[in-house]
Amino acid sequence: MTTFNFFGGKGGVGKTTVSAAYGLKCVRNGLETLVVSTDPAHSTSDVFDQEFDDRPRPVAGYEGLHAMELDPEEEVDAHLSELRTQLGQQLSPAMVNEISMQLEMAHQTPGAYEAALFDRFVEVMQNAEEYDRVVFDTSPTGGTLRLLALPEYLEQWIEHLLHKRKKSIEYYERAAIGDQQARKMLDGDPIIARLQERKETFEFAGETLRNDSRFTIVLNPDDLSIRESERALAEFSEADLPVAGLVVNKLTPEPDPDETGRGGTFLRDRVETEKRRLEEIRTSLDPPVVAEIETRVREVKGSLLEEVADEIALETKPSA
Amino acid sequence: MSLADRISATIEELKLWLRGLYHGMITHPAYEKIEKEAEDLEDAFMLACFPDAFGIPSPVSYYTAELLPYLADEFEAWQRRLWDRDSLVERKGQQYHF
Repeated sequence: MTTFNFFGGKGGVGKTTVSAAYGLKCVRNGLETLVVSTDPAHSTSDVFDQEFDDRPRPVAGYEGLHAMELDPEEEVDAHLSELRTQLGQQLSPAMVNEISMQLEMAHQTPGAYEAALFDRFVEVMQNAEEYDRVVFDTSPTGGTLRLLALPEYLEQWIEHLLHKRKKSIEYYERAAIGDQQARKMLDGDPIIARLQERKETFEFAGETLRNDSRFTIVLNPDDLSIRESERALAEFSEADLPVAGLVVNKLTPEPDPDETGRGGTFLRDRVETEKRRLEEIRTSLDPPVVAEIETRVREVKGSLLEEVADEIALETKPSA
Repeated sequence: MSLADRISATIEELKLWLRGLYHGMITHPAYEKIEKEAEDLEDAFMLACFPDAFGIPSPVSYYTAELLPYLADEFEAWQRRLWDRDSLVERKGQQYHF
């Protein structure tokens, strides 16, 4: 049984690092793991010092760890050009221009990125049998998480369209008297087939997200990050999605007691503030804090990544 | 021509007229109405699919764009119809052919 782990949070809180470290932890516990990044900046490549693309590739140096990077912009373009080809095949060139406008517009709407990503997420989920664990490093836009919470809503939309289409065809069939051919038939209507297919995808996604997925929110010990996480949690609970825990990242390391210089005082004050924030996180936010990760001196890579992996107390066993 | 023949000829003629009247006044308007209703429903479907063609953003337009290859002919006609729709009374009363 594959389990899906989603890491979300505000931009810059360290989702990629935490996802990669968690993936590493899973591998260490003997799970075949795939890390899926949606960051167009390709930061997973930076973490592992290796290039990835939109197909799963083994990560060099870590047996059992795989990674892939999705670029939402590329996905949107691919979707657009696929439809364009389809249009070209079925239509006269004169018509294509009119439709192209609508097509282009649909791919520039604010939701297009999220929809394209969502599609690919579902695709990954559908083809994940060979992995025990799939870790999604979601892109910083709040939209991705929102879309994940929305398959039910989209499903209803599609259902609504399906109903309308069926109704109108039903009337066409009724209007055809005697041996007269109905203008449109319910059987083999490509629109209904397509909408049905979509609906099933959303159903699958909704089920997988509710039953086989766990969400982890990464946050920093600052006010903005806490507020944002609060809102995200509210959305998750509204969508009935399970949040497994919170990862607090970028904590300031405590200075030695004998350090009394400017740096030492600064750090001590800072640690003091963060302690209060941490307390606030523990009391005001519901899910347990599963990891407290200190800021590192440099980018988290290689051995540092392994260190961070040790600090994440998130269960890797599917039963938890 | 015997009287009987003339009577049956008149009856035939009458039947034809009656059938014509029945078709013209009852069945045809009825089917026309159903077909009109189907067209209206279809327009509603198109509007639900592509509201952004009229400036209303839709959460599913990315997905409904996938239907465009199949709806190409209808799409253009629909757009023209919506831009220039008769009044509701005109549209709904068309079967009376005034």
